[in-house]
Amino acid sequence: MKIKSYAGFINRQCVGLQKLKPDIPRITVGLATCGAAVGGTVIFERLKRSIEEQGLDISLIPTGCIGYCREEPIVTITHPGKPLVLLHRVCEDDTDEILRAVASGSVPFDKALCRIEAWDHLMGCTVKYGTGFDQIPLYDEIPFFGRQHKVILRDAGLINPEDVDEFLAVGGYSAAYLALTEMRPNQVLDEVERSGLRGRGGAGFPAGLKWRITKEKKSDKKYIICNADEGDPGAYMNRNEMESDPHMLIEGMILGAYAIGVEEGLIYIRAEYPLAIKRLTCALEQARKSGILGTNIFGSGFSFDIQIATGAGAFVCGESTALIASIEGRTGRPHPRPPRLTDAGLWGKPTDLNNVETWCNVPVIIKNGVDWYTEIGAENNTGTKVFSLVGDVERVGLVEVPLGTSINTIVFDVGNGGAEGKPVKAVQTGGPSGGCIPVRLFDTTVDFESLNAIGSIMGSGGIVVMDEDTNMVDIARYFISFATGESCGKCIPCREGLKHTLLLLNRILAGKGTETDLVTLQDLSETIVATSLCGLGQTAPNPVLTTLAYFREEYDALVKS
Amino acid sequence: MTDEEVCGTKGALNQVTVTINGREYSAEEGEILLGVAIRENVEIPHLCYEASLSPSGACRLCMVGVRKKGKTEMTTSCTLRVTEGLDVVTETPEILRHRKMLLELYLAEAPKSEVIKSLAARYGVTKTRFFKKAEPADPLGNKCVLCGLCVRVCNEIMGGGVISFVNRGPYTVVATPFFGENPICLGCGACAQVCPTHAIEIENPGDERIMTSWGKTRVKLRQCPVCGKYYAPDILAETIYAKITPPLSQQIQDMCPDCRRKYLAKQEVLVKSGDFSGGNNHV
Repeated sequence: MKIKSYAGFINRQCVGLQKLKPDIPRITVGLATCGAAVGGTVIFERLKRSIEEQGLDISLIPTGCIGYCREEPIVTITHPGKPLVLLHRVCEDDTDEILRAVASGSVPFDKALCRIEAWDHLMGCTVKYGTGFDQIPLYDEIPFFGRQHKVILRDAGLINPEDVDEFLAVGGYSAAYLALTEMRPNQVLDEVERSGLRGRGGAGFPAGLKWRITKEKKSDKKYIICNADEGDPGAYMNRNEMESDPHMLIEGMILGAYAIGVEEGLIYIRAEYPLAIKRLTCALEQARKSGILGTNIFGSGFSFDIQIATGAGAFVCGESTALIASIEGRTGRPHPRPPRLTDAGLWGKPTDLNNVETWCNVPVIIKNGVDWYTEIGAENNTGTKVFSLVGDVERVGLVEVPLGTSINTIVFDVGNGGAEGKPVKAVQTGGPSGGCIPVRLFDTTVDFESLNAIGSIMGSGGIVVMDEDTNMVDIARYFISFATGESCGKCIPCREGLKHTLLLLNRILAGKGTETDLVTLQDLSETIVATSLCGLGQTAPNPVLTTLAYFREEYDALVKS
Repeated sequence: MTDEEVCGTKGALNQVTVTINGREYSAEEGEILLGVAIRENVEIPHLCYEASLSPSGACRLCMVGVRKKGKTEMTTSCTLRVTEGLDVVTETPEILRHRKMLLELYLAEAPKSEVIKSLAARYGVTKTRFFKKAEPADPLGNKCVLCGLCVRVCNEIMGGGVISFVNRGPYTVVATPFFGENPICLGCGACAQVCPTHAIEIENPGDERIMTSWGKTRVKLRQCPVCGKYYAPDILAETIYAKITPPLSQQIQDMCPDCRRKYLAKQEVLVKSGDFSGGNNHV
């Protein structure tokens, strides 16, 4: 049924809340890719079968991922009036015990990780679960969670991503409703501009400014596109955002479309994310049925719809001009800018392209206001950023912290240092475009400028932790090998330069390198950075340049031996 | 009154003044800087630029320094549009350093190309530190630098799309689909004409043309009914004749350019000398 009035909107919220907090116990299983990969699906099926066989009155719901990937599969239990309890490292054989406990009004305490008494979904909605089970620690007492500030991941792992009602119940689409019924497009644009929101795809370009440039272009047709071609090794924030809370992205795009004055949007998503594609498709369909997408959204007269375009496995297609080429059916090869997408993008029309997480930031800004948003983060780096903390780190998972948080906090306070207690040597941020940061520079705050200053980049948000056993030259070789394979081959510094960088690194690693090779390596890297056509080549040598700068002794040891 | 109004040039394309290496030149607003440099004989090395094709920015050799607010920023001059007051330098220590490195890469990529060798030598690069490509079976003779001019001329001007880039990254090559014969090839040879390194080979043995580099694609040649010479691909002639309006007279359509010229000249003489029969019997 389409939502056409405020009453209709509230009505659907109530329906959703009833699903989120039913009168019967509710069990959820984290079924994002990370949960499914470690057996979540099997657990879900087994629970489903047992509930049916035993005729239990329990609501079983699939959710996304709450971010603590190391502790997956995560199952939650909510008894009416009791806190939501997170169970961790659940395996298939635990299902009978879980059901026994739930049927008797309890939870399996030995499996419990923490409890949540109330959860602020930030969109003007706090879900109060209840009190009890005091022997289980509170959510904030878990170090991995306690140091985080969840804004983008506010719903992840708690709501059913395949049910628009649950999203509505936690305040979802209320920003879009507010904007479309009470705000003028320029007001929305002003808010986003004043919030200081910067592009989360890596470059940090002010999102509001990009919107304004697109808005001010004169054209009969314009587009907005969401870049969901997340391809950095070790980065999967966007995947989880789409798998766990797809409607949040849609709401952000609706707000952007309204502000810019666009009727057609696209989500360009890599084909390697089948679950995200499935959930987005499902979310788009539900949104259309609910009158949230399509013609005359919320009865406001504004029309907008979103299509999905899937990539075909090329990293370079995350680059804006290559992305457009890919959507148009051409080979994903970048072309020189200008013209920028805002001048001539998709089908030659002005196009605004933003990363998944950039769009996801918009609803909270509109709902809670600029002052609320700018309180989070640092100067010129407002808001939070989701990082995927992976590699040789004790607590692997998705970490959301305010921009300006130090690497120390992320790696040691949230991540608890090296896996199995080994000393941490470095982190690699920004994927193949980023650099390796040695542990002595871990005071560096994670914001766009500070990371650039030490030769790395924020990138899309992958943080790969490396312990003392890691050979940094080999790390450089790995990333160059990745970039060489993903280079489109159009311009020579990237095509040939990276190939020869790889050959040089292979030679050095084989113990056949010389001092001269190190000089060549440095010079060649600098030329690739200075002369490549697109961002891939311009940043691909960063792993070499930073390891040469910070771990020179490892190169020296290899060429001397 | 502005100069424009006095000269009456208002409404025409805007003339602007650009500075290259400290000297001022006049150019049309929006013109490509490399084009201005070529016209004015200012030397900027380049491999992938051709005025009649869309700019590509692939070879990276034409990088110049744009001076703005006390800073010099490197950019490719083949994609740089001229605006009033544009101030560029073609050689800075930085540009020279990177140019040399790129030329070393070109020497490794196209070791058999004399054009690349002499271009590199011009900038003081006579050898490369990098592993040279040596592919005995390369249909482009280890001379291709992937500038893409052949692909662009085939697509943009001939409308052929016979060749394209295949694979990606260091494995990129220009080829026909699946490296085989491509029946849609007109055999026009525009690809070989624009190739800066003369990598594309075409042979004309007898009554056919063989696009040696393009999967040995064979195209039948048209024979001149007068002199018997094979002069142009059949399919190319048909394609072009179909576009000419009004169509060429049957009389001259099949003739080779030489015979056609002779025939027309003869006609002219006959007409001038008063023989209005048209001289149809003389051919």
